[in-house]
Amino acid sequence: MEFKRGFTRRFPPLKVLTDEQVQAIHRGTLRVLWTTGVLIEHERALKLFEQNGCKVDYDNYRVRIPPDLVEECLRKAPSSFPAPARDPSRTLMLGGNTLCLAVAPGHKTVDDHTWEPREATRKENYDAVRILDALPTVHFFSPYTPYFGFQGVPSCMAMLESLAARIRNSGKFQCVGFSNDSEMFSIEMAKSVGIEILGTCAWAPPLALYRDAVESTFRTVEAGFCLRVVGGQLMGGTSPASIAGAIVTGNAEVISGLVLAQLIRPGTRVLVKDFTAGMNMNTGAPAFGGIEIAVHNTACSQMFQHYGIPIDQTTAYPNSKSPDYQSAMEKAFRVMSAGLSGGNTMLFHGSVHGELTHHPLQAILDDDMAGMMGRYMEGVDVSTDALALDLIEKVGPVPGHFMSAKHTREWWKKEQYVPNTSDRMTYPEWMTSGKKTCIDYARQRMEDLISTHKPIPVTDSQEAEIERVLEKARAHYLKNGLITEDEMREYRASMQSPNYPYE
Amino acid sequence: MSDDILGKLKQAILDYDPDAATDWARKSVEAGIKPTDTLAAMTDAIREIGEGFSSGELFLPDLVGAADAMTAAVPVVEAEIQRTGATAVTTGTVVIGTVFGDIHTIGKTMVATLLQAEGFTVHDSGINVTAEQFVEDVRTHKPDILAMSALMTMTAPEQRKVVETLKEQGLRDSVKIMVGGGAITQEFADSIGADGYDPTAPGAAKLARTLVGK
Repeated sequence: MEFKRGFTRRFPPLKVLTDEQVQAIHRGTLRVLWTTGVLIEHERALKLFEQNGCKVDYDNYRVRIPPDLVEECLRKAPSSFPAPARDPSRTLMLGGNTLCLAVAPGHKTVDDHTWEPREATRKENYDAVRILDALPTVHFFSPYTPYFGFQGVPSCMAMLESLAARIRNSGKFQCVGFSNDSEMFSIEMAKSVGIEILGTCAWAPPLALYRDAVESTFRTVEAGFCLRVVGGQLMGGTSPASIAGAIVTGNAEVISGLVLAQLIRPGTRVLVKDFTAGMNMNTGAPAFGGIEIAVHNTACSQMFQHYGIPIDQTTAYPNSKSPDYQSAMEKAFRVMSAGLSGGNTMLFHGSVHGELTHHPLQAILDDDMAGMMGRYMEGVDVSTDALALDLIEKVGPVPGHFMSAKHTREWWKKEQYVPNTSDRMTYPEWMTSGKKTCIDYARQRMEDLISTHKPIPVTDSQEAEIERVLEKARAHYLKNGLITEDEMREYRASMQSPNYPYE
Repeated sequence: MSDDILGKLKQAILDYDPDAATDWARKSVEAGIKPTDTLAAMTDAIREIGEGFSSGELFLPDLVGAADAMTAAVPVVEAEIQRTGATAVTTGTVVIGTVFGDIHTIGKTMVATLLQAEGFTVHDSGINVTAEQFVEDVRTHKPDILAMSALMTMTAPEQRKVVETLKEQGLRDSVKIMVGGGAITQEFADSIGADGYDPTAPGAAKLARTLVGK
């Protein structure tokens, strides 16, 4: 399968809400924004809201946004927009009837035999990026990917080392997060190597936007980059337990972020993400594999088609700890609902367990699931050639058959998705060839990609700029105490390989 | 009479009803019931909920609902303890909070509630708590245990900072330190010199008992 710039859905989207229900959720959202309001911990943002007709309570950082401003800002944000990649052939268009899939990150890697978590090495991080660059259904990279950090890197540098690794080892479109002002350096790195990035504004549910998230919003929008506004909630914990109630609070969060972006710079390209999951009522942890997330996401897709704003779905994290039946079941429902309902993006590939672990072997398995979803979204071609009435007439009843027809040779490859990692053998073949499973096929593909895939290289001047910005950030964090002298010594020692930065 | 009032108080907590719990706590004071007996009845109720939670029969909303009912009624009883000069029986005192830069509350609240169920007196410092605030709360409440949560890799180092600040202030040896949260591992806990770590909330509550030798 070749890289495509996202999967195109060629039939109407699945709807789970009636038009009246869409309006009820919208009215509820407007009421929360105007009556309850949201907490925004940032003086400059508060002033901007006040200048544009919002009620602002400076003592409590509370902003109440009037309905007409909400409607105006929803109109100003584009319904689809380009997401340019370092490799122009990987540039995407986010929005409309296209679903683009991205990498689902993990704090750590896993041992791919015991499935126990452990910290990734620098080489494993870079190899994983290279594999993800090779996979045709990975359309872009999300922040922190593939790992939240790797050996030797102080936590405050993880975000920037991640971006550096992804620019060096992939030509695909890149998204960044924020932590301790990391977005300042991400923006500088992107500009100095001549690429665009998708910045992030992440809410703290319920209904609170803290200073660092607002700073990231200002910096991203003022740099002229597109912005991903993330509302995130656990139903029953940080939002109502009811799906409709959770959509209202999630809407209030992401729409407030969208309003802020439009007030800073009208027309800013915004991708909203309603990152909602049920709460495991035994432990308080997210029930990431739950089917209720798919129901919620389907309804959210419908709401944001109504608004005309591209939507990123809840990341397809499984609760399973290894690539097994549970994992496949949890991921399949989620990507299927995204594809059918009109979700525009989804972080999908490589998560082994929640946001805690990631592995390229899992990403290779997910590549096939994504490919199958992409095929489904293509729908049914009912052209004259596809109907094949003349051929049916020519072949007629048994003993006629279609195997030798030119039409078959042309059409079967269009209609079938042939997975790279599925076992399709007969029992005798399977028993005499080592009883291989999809994991064995994925492992083989992983080894092949590591030894063969060569990402589009960065130029010498781009490499120099990446390293210059990393050094600038290292000095900044050393000076402000987020990296201690001891940590810096360990960090420097981890960079002594002759193959730095790749191992 | 006394059994009846304390039974109703206990039931109010089991029914997750803060208004009724406060009402029956007040009636227990009016009836002249020893405030330490009233507190014991409330702890019994929350322990029952905690056991149901640990065995999987009850769920997080039940645990937090009961804790809210108890929290609403506690000031009434504490005021009476102070007025009468009675001595409350407690497993120990804990200061608990989520570290600076981290605003995750659910795990911290679960542990706080289960610590109450184990008979601890809990001072909840909240979320996004600076090292300086933790030190101040340790100085003020003189707890047996300081419990810190961090859910994110980026905020875990803040736990180290709290430990170091306690050392600088000469308070480290006055308190046991336990740490938890999604970003924390036993290895990390050992590296910052914490006295204990557990990956689960019920396990953390049991660990606290061990740390105070009960």
